[in-house]
Amino acid sequence: MAEKHSGMTLIVKTITRFTVWLILLYGIFLMIHGHLTPGGGFVGGLVVALSFIHMKLAFGKKGPVKGSGKTFLHALDSSGALLFLGIGVAAFFAGLPFLSNFLPKGKLFDLFSAGTIPILNFAIMLKVGAAIFLVFIALNLYEHGSKAGNSEDSKNEKREGE
Amino acid sequence: MTAFIVFLSLIILGALLALLRILLGPTLSDRVAALDIMNVIITGVIVLFALIEENALFLDIALVYAALSFLETVVVARYLEGKK
Repeated sequence: MAEKHSGMTLIVKTITRFTVWLILLYGIFLMIHGHLTPGGGFVGGLVVALSFIHMKLAFGKKGPVKGSGKTFLHALDSSGALLFLGIGVAAFFAGLPFLSNFLPKGKLFDLFSAGTIPILNFAIMLKVGAAIFLVFIALNLYEHGSKAGNSEDSKNEKREGE
Repeated sequence: MTAFIVFLSLIILGALLALLRILLGPTLSDRVAALDIMNVIITGVIVLFALIEENALFLDIALVYAALSFLETVVVARYLEGKK
């Protein structure tokens, strides 16, 4: 069973093909509307990370999200923090205090209205999404014993083959 | 307004019965199925509450709750699959 296909059964895979894009789109929706509705960067990032976790759970190691990609996720994580800091520091060049809203604010309750706040939400989404997915990958590696050595790996394979 | 109170109490009674099944359930699979039923019921309660308050913001919460409760069921099923 382990060598024929990875991940869960066909039912879960079929349903996942429908739901995973909805969850990903909903996370991005929450992030874009962060300054208008409940939600924001943190919640949006959490939902985006959950969509990737969902894909990884349903399709396993051979699925669309291959390997761990830890370097890329670390880069996303750090670039989110760097973008937030860059927006904060950019206010100095407009002659305002740290993290001031130096862009034009636009009309109230418009989608692209609140100056720097949507960009800050995007930075938080990158940071939180990458970090939560990294936590999941770290737990997954620990469970499968890939870091611990070969002895646990072979034990796992034997258990799956039974 | 009283009609809404009757609706809500009946739905919450259903949620409490599902909670009872979670607490009593003989096997783990019973508990997972009852938890899924309770998630669906709670999603319905949130939608009904949005109707009562006439506020569309609650519909967003119902959507995210429904999506994440499905994910929760998948995670528990994965755990049960790996356990045997």
